[in-house]
Order: sequence, then C-alpha cells, then structure tokens
Amino acid sequence: MTVQTPLTHQDFKSDVKPIWCPGCGDFSVLSAVTKALAELGRPREDIAFISGIGCSSRIPAYTKVYGFHGVHGRALAIAAGVKLARPDLTVLAAGGDGDGLSIGGNHFMHACRRNVDMTYIVMDNQVYGMTKGQASPTTAPDWCNSKLTPEGTGISPVEPVRLALAAGANFIARGFAGNPNEVARLILEGINHPGFSLIHVLSPCVTYRPEQRDWKQAVHASDATPAQLIAEAMHRLASDDGFTTGVLFAGNRQAFMPPRRNLATIADLERKFAS
Amino acid sequence: MSEVAAFLAHAIALEAEAAERYDELADAMAVHNNEAVAELFRKLAHFSRLHHAEVKEHAKDMVLPQLKPWEYQWQTAEGPEAAPVERTHYLMTPYHCIHLALQNEKRGHQYYADISYKTNDPEVKRLAKEFADEEAEHVVMLEKWAANIKAPEPDWDMDLDPPVVSD
Repeated sequence: MTVQTPLTHQDFKSDVKPIWCPGCGDFSVLSAVTKALAELGRPREDIAFISGIGCSSRIPAYTKVYGFHGVHGRALAIAAGVKLARPDLTVLAAGGDGDGLSIGGNHFMHACRRNVDMTYIVMDNQVYGMTKGQASPTTAPDWCNSKLTPEGTGISPVEPVRLALAAGANFIARGFAGNPNEVARLILEGINHPGFSLIHVLSPCVTYRPEQRDWKQAVHASDATPAQLIAEAMHRLASDDGFTTGVLFAGNRQAFMPPRRNLATIADLERKFAS
Repeated sequence: MSEVAAFLAHAIALEAEAAERYDELADAMAVHNNEAVAELFRKLAHFSRLHHAEVKEHAKDMVLPQLKPWEYQWQTAEGPEAAPVERTHYLMTPYHCIHLALQNEKRGHQYYADISYKTNDPEVKRLAKEFADEEAEHVVMLEKWAANIKAPEPDWDMDLDPPVVSD
C-alpha cells in the first residue's frame, strides 16, 4: 500500500520564476496562497486558480494547481463558471485593485451578490503597476505622482471591503503582505467559509508607490470578534482607517448553487456537434 | 508536547523560512539581471539550509508539534531571519545584500538570546544558548564580509532607463 505524504507549500509552487519587482508584496501573497493550500489538504488537481490581468494576476502561473490567466476584469466571471460547472473544486480568484474594482468592478459587485462559493484575493497596491504607475480606483484623491493626474484624481477611492459588504459578500477579511502567515490563515478561512469570500490584501508596490513600505507601521490587527451581522460590520467599517487586518465579517448566507440536472448526455452533445 | 520540541519546531521553521526567502530573492534578482546579488542570495540560502539541517539533527528522535504557519510564536510577523521583502531593490548591490543578511542574523541571534534568558527549561536554555552563539558567529562573519565590500555610490539606484515613467 502506498502512503501518500501530505503536500507542503513548496509542492504548490511552480518552477516559473515570478516576474515581479523585487520588494513587491505579491511575493508574500504567493507564499500565503501556497501555505493556505497546503493546510487545506486537497490534491492539486482539485483546485482551480483564476486571474484577470495585471502584475498580481500572474499569480496562477506561479502555483501548481489548475490555472486560468483570464481576461481583464473578468476573473470572477470565469471563476463563477468553473465553480458552477464543477462544484467539487476549490475555486480561487485573484487580481489587483484595478482589475477587480475598475475594469472588473461590475463583476465584483455581482459576484458578491451571487455568493457563489469561491475565494477572491485582491492584491491592493493603489496603483496600476503593469502600465507604469497610474491612479487606480483605490488611489487616494491627492496622489499626484502620475503625469496623468498631476494634481491627483480628486475622486474618493473605492473601499473594497465596504463595497463587498454592501454588495452581499459572505466573508470579508483584510490582510497585509508583510505578514504572509496571517494572510495564509485568512485565505484558508475564506476557502472554508461558504459563499463568496473577499480577502483584501494590502500589497505594497515598491516601484511606483515606494511610500507604501511604511504600511508596516500603519497596519493593526482587529481585536474584535468577526461581525456576523451586516449592520454591525457596517458600523465598524464606517470608522475603519483602511489598515485594520483580520476577519471583518463572517456572514451566514447560503452559497448560490443552481439545481443541477443533466440537460444532455455526452452522446447528445457529440451528435449535436456532428450534425 | 515538551518545551524542547516546541523550541526545535520553531528553530527548524526559522531556518526554513530564511532559506526560502533567500531563494525567492535570488530568483527575483535573476529575473532582473542582477546576477551578482542573485548569486549572493543563493549562497545565503545555502548557509541557511546547512543550519536547517543541523537543527533538524538535534530533533531527529523527537516528535515535534505540527504547527500551522500562523501558529508560530514569533515576535515579528515572520520568522526572525526571513529577509524583509520590502527592503530589496532590483538595483541593490552586494553591499546592500550583505547588510540585509547581517540584520537578519542579528534578529536571529536576539531571538535565541531572549529565549535563553527567559526560559526555565534547562535543555531549552542550553540549546538556545548554543544557537545564539552560532548566530553571533554568523554576525561576526557577515560583519567581516561587509567590511570588505565597498559602499556603493549614493546614486546606486539611478536607472537611466527607469521603469518609473508614466505616460
């Protein structure tokens, strides 16, 4: 009899060297994802990791699970399709603040609302890094280091966790890339919580936002038990400074799953394609 | 679970995290064609793995606690010898690399010295003292290494074709 050795986090890393700037927070998120998956204990072939476009969306290639580097802003649409077609799989989606909250902002809201059982990791660096440093939907209105917005955007930023809560996400957590072991815990909790889970990770971009190195001093762990009622979570998040880490909301909505029935057999489909 | 087993589980994780981080940094530097620093990070990863093997040898006949990554009781967010990712730069020089490693070893030494001072378990005290002494040797070695490397020019991070160009 062959005894299977449990997979370690190294078993979930691919041999592809990440193309990220040295110092990027996304390295730590990759480490956190592989650690969470090792603790999850599922075989690699039972996990699908979907992404959109952007620096952080390269992440599936750096893991050894099934991956889909998708279309800009559409990671959640693809991920929902994968989960609904194969509910037995653990489905993760990942991307950046631009991909998820601007180009994919509409999908984000509706993914929260639909509450399909999957986990979405947003690596938020408040900048479009891949296109060389423009303001993103989470950039502060007075950030003026891009030639496109020399006097800042003047627009209030999107606050991902508040948006997710208002739109109906069933699990919301925030982590900091400087603490990858804690991010791993949050990802695993998100996976194990039914429904749509948002893991908002503050992931510094040291190239275009070098001042984000100071986030290490700004983050602080929540000392409250996770809110289970939307009103309670809303109340807490109303005064949140954007740097509170931990599980911020753990709801009890039932995950969306349409009734499954076979509409056609494989033979039916083959006949249809042959005709 | 004995205090010694918990201590050794932490020591093994500390060295493993340090080696993995150096590997990651070496790969990142290689991707950015900074081969000199990539090579140095690989050497540092090798040294961490040697120390990892030594610590494992101490624990070879013991049952160690199976801790999840977030269950380790570090004073810092990660293992004390894991190089902080945000302290790296694609144009960093061997000087920066060695000084980064030096800080990591100093944190490692402090970690073991603290345990050696605080614990009431004589075996943990003995091991922690032994490991702290080893880390102190690493610090001295790296200080000598650092003394032989010329500090870079103040504009070491100047890139005539910088990635930071918008529009």
